[in-house]
Amino acid sequence: MPAWKNAERTAIGLTLLLMAMSAFAQTGGFGVSELDIRVEDQLVLADARIDYALSTTAAEALENGVALVIVQRLRLQTARWWWGDAVVVSQQRRYRLQYHAISRRYVLTRLESGESRSYRSLDALLLRLGRIQAWPVVRLDRLDEGEDYRLRLDTGLEVDELPRLLRMVAWINPDWRLRSEPRYRELSP
Amino acid sequence: MMQLPRQAIVRILLSVLLILSLYLLSAATENSVRFGRLYLWLLLINGVVLVALLALIVNNLWRLVRSVRARETGSRLTLRLMALFVVLAVVPGLVVYGFSMQFLQRGVDSWFDVRVENALDDALALSQASLDQRMRDMQQRLQDAARDLADVTEEMAPITLGDLRARTGASELALLGENGRIIAASSVDTGNILPHRPEDSILLQLRQGRPYVGLDPIENAGLHIRALVPAPGPGGPGSSRVLQGLFQVSPRIDNLAAEVETAFSEYRELAYLRGPLKDSFSLTLSLVLLLSLLFAVWSAFYLARRLVAPVSRLAEGTRAMAAGEYGTQLAPGGNDELGYLVRSFNDMSRRVADVRDAARHSQELVESQRAYLETVLGRLSSGVLALAPDGSLRTYNQAASAILSVPLSEGVGRPLSALVNRYPDFGPFADLVAGDRQSPDSEWRAELSLDTGEGRRALICSGATLPGEGDRGGEVIVFDDVTTLIQAQRDAAWGEVARRLAHEIRNPLTPIQLSAERLQHKVGTRLSGDEAVLLQRSTETIIHQVEAMKEMVQAFSEYARPPALRPQAVDLNALVREVVELYRGEPEQPAFRLDLDEDLPWLQADPGRLRQLLNNLLRNALEAGEAGHCRVVVSTRQGSGRFADMIELDVQDNGPGFAESMLNQLFEPYVSTKPRGSGLGLAIVKKIVEEHNGMIGARNVDGGARISVRLPRVMPGDARQGNEQ
Repeated sequence: MPAWKNAERTAIGLTLLLMAMSAFAQTGGFGVSELDIRVEDQLVLADARIDYALSTTAAEALENGVALVIVQRLRLQTARWWWGDAVVVSQQRRYRLQYHAISRRYVLTRLESGESRSYRSLDALLLRLGRIQAWPVVRLDRLDEGEDYRLRLDTGLEVDELPRLLRMVAWINPDWRLRSEPRYRELSP
Repeated sequence: MMQLPRQAIVRILLSVLLILSLYLLSAATENSVRFGRLYLWLLLINGVVLVALLALIVNNLWRLVRSVRARETGSRLTLRLMALFVVLAVVPGLVVYGFSMQFLQRGVDSWFDVRVENALDDALALSQASLDQRMRDMQQRLQDAARDLADVTEEMAPITLGDLRARTGASELALLGENGRIIAASSVDTGNILPHRPEDSILLQLRQGRPYVGLDPIENAGLHIRALVPAPGPGGPGSSRVLQGLFQVSPRIDNLAAEVETAFSEYRELAYLRGPLKDSFSLTLSLVLLLSLLFAVWSAFYLARRLVAPVSRLAEGTRAMAAGEYGTQLAPGGNDELGYLVRSFNDMSRRVADVRDAARHSQELVESQRAYLETVLGRLSSGVLALAPDGSLRTYNQAASAILSVPLSEGVGRPLSALVNRYPDFGPFADLVAGDRQSPDSEWRAELSLDTGEGRRALICSGATLPGEGDRGGEVIVFDDVTTLIQAQRDAAWGEVARRLAHEIRNPLTPIQLSAERLQHKVGTRLSGDEAVLLQRSTETIIHQVEAMKEMVQAFSEYARPPALRPQAVDLNALVREVVELYRGEPEQPAFRLDLDEDLPWLQADPGRLRQLLNNLLRNALEAGEAGHCRVVVSTRQGSGRFADMIELDVQDNGPGFAESMLNQLFEPYVSTKPRGSGLGLAIVKKIVEEHNGMIGARNVDGGARISVRLPRVMPGDARQGNEQ
């Protein structure tokens, strides 16, 4: 009875999907959903969308005054047949997430510039954090023509920036293992 | 100075390292910046050490269990000590651990006071309430300003905004159009051209007609109040213009709010980190305790082994001693009481070995003394007998056996009388000793004539009581065979007599003979008839008798002065046969039986003298026998026992035997029982035997007399010739 079997399979699949979703909601996770390259005025720019979802544990820690640091790493690399990829450009943006109790707002600070913005909700903050627009990667004239380049973007929570006591827990607890798989985009100038 | 064993040094080093790492771990636990980075590594290292220690302990335990099963010396004591050490280390450790854990939990909890928490919450609420008031004020001001903008066009807006900003005291005013587009802005900070844009959700809220006011912490600029109100333009309420104002909170309030914010968030963070903090402390404490305990257990194995080692060695040593391995030395074991015990054991063992050696030495000494005494006694020509207090034979020397002609070895441990049954000749000696033992005197002397297999012997015996336990110890009897001595004295006397007689008698004989011949010559011619016959007969008688006397004197003379010996190799059997052949035709018709040893070796002797010896013996035997029924047995053989290097010759007749009274003087001159004979025959035989260093004896046997002669194969002083032959 294939129909019955199919129904059963579907049910099991749905259950598994639900379980995975609930697990995802609990444990959170980062993922680079889009990565695009465009060139403007001889400048290679990257646009990206990153889905940030903090795990309950991390969100709780943030509510309780623990500052979280999230880093976004962008790399332009070329393949080498005789060795690992050569990195042409390596950039990173570090953001600090903080809860401001008096104003009841979440503050996002870019650590390189000290520039900060506050948000009414954590989701608004994460949405803003996940929207990367026109990240200048490299000037086009620095790239060799005919060479194949690969842009790589990944992001993750900096466990080393956590308070030391929490760091130990973070090494062990998977709730704190918040990092995305790298996403690649080919670039051939 | 005591030298630590290598293992102990390694252990001390390890424990120092362990303590150092534990110190670092605890330092890292206490939020120290310096060691904070090390924490994970320290955890890892200590974890590895923990596993290594566990492995070591399991290994040790396995070895211990195996040795206990194999019943090795000291293994059970090690196990017991080990268990004791472990209990002593683990129980207090666990108690301390339990209390520490409790204190830790309570101590950490006690830092977070509920009242402090409430106070901080209140302070936060107070701050918020205070700021809420200001926010409402600011919102009111902004709404007033928005009304003033109602009829201001976009072109005029920047100028109006500048006035409004001054009037409202805002640090920034901005007029936003559709989708947050900035129409105009005015800011205190002239360098900042772009105003702080509100987030989309606020604009959404404004689009729904609801004003917004809220605090906005702006980095480096302090706390600001952000207010947004709808600001309808000249186009009426339908236009979606929004006026945003940023008002700086007064510095004093800003500072206060910042402090409250800092204190609150720090406290919240601390309270939140309470769990991990406790976990971290607990982990460190558990790790420290576990490592210490495991190290203690591991060291307990070592210590127990180290403590038990001398005891095991002692046990092994004792076992070795019990098995007779005296002098066993154990490895020295430290300066404590166990070490002292080991040293004492070694001393004891050494002394026992010394005593054993001394005993062995003295035993050897006694043995050598005994051997020495035996050698001396054996070399003595005198016979020596030692009797036990009960009269049994204890020891004797070879000479005693030889003199008495009795194998005394058969009588050791038995009374002398026990030998008499088998050896009747021994009787007189045994009787003498028994008789003298009865006497109360401690010393005695006696002379004894003993009939032995080798002939009659004259013995001089002396006895003395030996000192011993009780009233009477044993007895020692010393005796000498003086037969030869007495014989020599007699021979010397007879030699002198013979020489004198020969000298004294020979002198007148010649004149007597000459006188008788002259008488015959001168007177015989004048006489006639019977007278002449008488004279003839008388002078012949005189002359014959003088001749006889001359022969006798010659014999005496020969006896006294024998010719020099000319020894050479002689086949005694051939000589016997030759001499016997001469006697076969005798008128007595003697019957000879020759019992000759065909393997008889030749001997060194003077053949002429031996021939005379045989002649004399055979004649002696023939004369003893009854005419017509005379039977003589001549036998030769190789000597045995102590006479192994001698040749024995026996001549036995079937005559009446020697008279008992004569046995003592049988070989003296002029001792004869026979009507015929000079009486010198056996004396000369004896003389010849003595010239050849032999021995002679005579005894009566069943149906006759037997004379035994023993001659050495090689004459002393003539060994070279004997060897050559």
